Amino acid sequence: MRHLISIADLTNDEIEEIFALADRAQEQRQERPATGHIMATLFYEPSTRTRLSFESAMQRLGGSVISCSDMKSSSTAKGETIADTAKVVSSYADVLVVRHHWDGAVQAMAEHADVPVINAGDGAHEHPTQTLCDLYTLRKEKGALKGLTVVVCGDLRNGRTIHSLVFALARFSANVVTLAANGMALPQYVIERLEREYGYGLTPVAANDLSTVVTETDALYLTPRQPHQLALFTQVDEVIQARLSSMATGLRYDAFYMTRKQKERMKDGASGSYPSIGADFLREQRFQDTVVMHPLPRVDELSPEVDKDRRGIYFKQAAYGVPVRMALLKFLFERHEKGTSTRRRQSVIYESPEAVGPQCRNANCVTLNEPVSTRRRFQILSPEEGGAWVVACLYCDHRNKVQYIGNAKSKRYSFFDPSLITSFREWLKAGELAIFDTIKEAEELGYEPIKSGPQRILLNESEIEQALVDIAGQILRDCQNPDRLLILGVRSVGAQLAQRLAQEVEKRCQRRLELGEIEIFGAGEELRRVSPADPDAGPLNLKDREVILVDDVLYTGRTVKSALSIIFRSGRPQSVRLAVLIDRGHREVPVRPNYVGKNIPTAENERVRVKLRGLDQENRDHAVLYSIDHAVGQTAPLPAREGTAASR
Amino acid sequence: MAEEKKVLLERTELAKAITRMAHEIVEKCVAPSDLVLIGIRSRGVHLARRLGRKVSEICHTNLPVGVMDVTPYRDDRSRPENASAPGALEAPVAVDEKTVVLIHDVIFRGRTIRAAMDAVERLGQPKRILVAALVDRGARELPIRADIVGKNITAAENERVNVLLEELDGVDQVTLAGWKT
Repeated sequence: MRHLISIADLTNDEIEEIFALADRAQEQRQERPATGHIMATLFYEPSTRTRLSFESAMQRLGGSVISCSDMKSSSTAKGETIADTAKVVSSYADVLVVRHHWDGAVQAMAEHADVPVINAGDGAHEHPTQTLCDLYTLRKEKGALKGLTVVVCGDLRNGRTIHSLVFALARFSANVVTLAANGMALPQYVIERLEREYGYGLTPVAANDLSTVVTETDALYLTPRQPHQLALFTQVDEVIQARLSSMATGLRYDAFYMTRKQKERMKDGASGSYPSIGADFLREQRFQDTVVMHPLPRVDELSPEVDKDRRGIYFKQAAYGVPVRMALLKFLFERHEKGTSTRRRQSVIYESPEAVGPQCRNANCVTLNEPVSTRRRFQILSPEEGGAWVVACLYCDHRNKVQYIGNAKSKRYSFFDPSLITSFREWLKAGELAIFDTIKEAEELGYEPIKSGPQRILLNESEIEQALVDIAGQILRDCQNPDRLLILGVRSVGAQLAQRLAQEVEKRCQRRLELGEIEIFGAGEELRRVSPADPDAGPLNLKDREVILVDDVLYTGRTVKSALSIIFRSGRPQSVRLAVLIDRGHREVPVRPNYVGKNIPTAENERVRVKLRGLDQENRDHAVLYSIDHAVGQTAPLPAREGTAASR
Repeated sequence: MAEEKKVLLERTELAKAITRMAHEIVEKCVAPSDLVLIGIRSRGVHLARRLGRKVSEICHTNLPVGVMDVTPYRDDRSRPENASAPGALEAPVAVDEKTVVLIHDVIFRGRTIRAAMDAVERLGQPKRILVAALVDRGARELPIRADIVGKNITAAENERVNVLLEELDGVDQVTLAGWKT
């Protein structure tokens, strides 16, 4: 199947082919090559230009259009998944044009569709057809793309058009100058991909070197310099002003590409620090041949004076949307008939052999927002400088550092370390590589460290029992109304402790307590939800409850933070108090426990584990501490599972 | 019945508290280049700007200061209107791999900070999140702490802590107001 999800799905030759087709758009209107074809437009986010230009393009090609302009109010509101929508609509249409608010959602749609899918913008990820229009406009205005210097300006962080555009400009060897509004720089993954795939060096450049460097470097990353009097932009913060004025005179700028101030992503309050182009710009001698582009709609970053000037070409740019999309549709239909599939990206795809794999760190990624429609996969990239290994989410391209790796066969894990690269490659090849974001995930799946120090017992069976008795007493002392108590344990050890704690409290207050669980590290149905410990019991009601959250070991606090988010998504308790058996310090989030069995100072490379009878084939309760050592150069066969370094 | 007002911090004491908090922020972070301050609307924003200037002076850097409105994330809202839109950050800052200090005027039940942590998560992956509050009045309902506190007080349920700032109120002052019979 031939889709267009990313501008990377098209080769340079194919882009040229599409442009040649766009040049002949008039002929195609007569040929009507799409006669009998139906295009469906599914827009989960509002759009005027993109949707209308697609629909116009399809009709001019002789095809017809079915449309759902507001997916949010349609079946999605009833809970239909991306996967189901894709399957259903595939049988109504010959091509799908999709816009979605989640990064990577169109990739997920394409995986379930039986017809070609075109990305009309997915979250902050990509918007490849806008990019095609931008490139086409530049080529029309300037003759060629190679060697052009394009300044991209404004919100470079949230603007999906910008991400697609810089990659495409890089491929056609244009120079890119980035000029980000404060705090809205290009995301790191975009910069890294520019470096990795296109060899763009993004070196800080001082203003006086600029004129020499610009001829040698493909991209410039300008550092702020002293503020300058040049009032080029109206309403602009000092940093941008400084950067802009630091561009040495004598450089040729072919185009300024402004992005829209994303009001829906920023709200008010930031208006003073967004650049805008006005009359001053037009009067600058060195910008006499610089065209001004904008994806539209604009807010107030382009003054009306620019509209009247020959250099303001954004309405032309919008008009090219139709011929370019006509060309793209014709191109995709032709490829579809020939049965060609989307160009494979040049890297190894990783999928965890375990039910719990690494998670994309992009909170807006489709894999987190609708896991059922996706299969978490990552591109394995080459190691970075300094030896860190990075994987990129297949859906949203967000780069995620490999933290812990394990072998699914031997059930051993280790910190990822550059010296483990050989093992990493071998396990990957054998399909045994398990990547984990946290040690806790590995432990929940029964993994043990590859190399660990001797175990020290922190709490024995009777000490654990005593700690729970003490905590139960404190809970009752602080409790306003025992009937409203709800004990919630974090799976799996926390949930076991919660059960014992509940029994202890019940003994004292002579009442049955409600008991629930939160699964954070698993991959099951109940993941990231509050569920009753007894599967036959009805759903838990959290409203106005006094919740006691129970976990075994408190460390960075991130687990508790996730648990709190989950609790507050499910209801609004009157209070949440935290009970832990062991607090080992090293907090990374502002979490404070209310009840602690024992405080234990630890080093960062140590693990504290609570092992309970019945879990992990343990025959007694105890809490242990051991160090995990770096498994340096681990290439020899791993020891058998029984031979754990930990002495029992 | 009359309203009684007690001044907790006068202008100079408030200035001293901010200076001390700025030093604590510097102490608690590994490198100033990793530091990002985010002020929680509305008084937290002005506190964050003041702390930002102080920390910048101490470390000779230019510290990024963001502004956050946690209203859409608060649990006392019936339903987040559009949970997928990261609309809460007005002055955006990059938080990935940074130490983020959330600046709040008065920490009380902990619900605002919990909501703020959710909002931060939508921006990226900070290395660490700290909380700095000008006043900690205790009586938390959630297991959340303030790492850096200007003044700790104990106040009754029906008492109100008012933080007045020059930028908004024309005066720098913290007061405790309550009804006495």
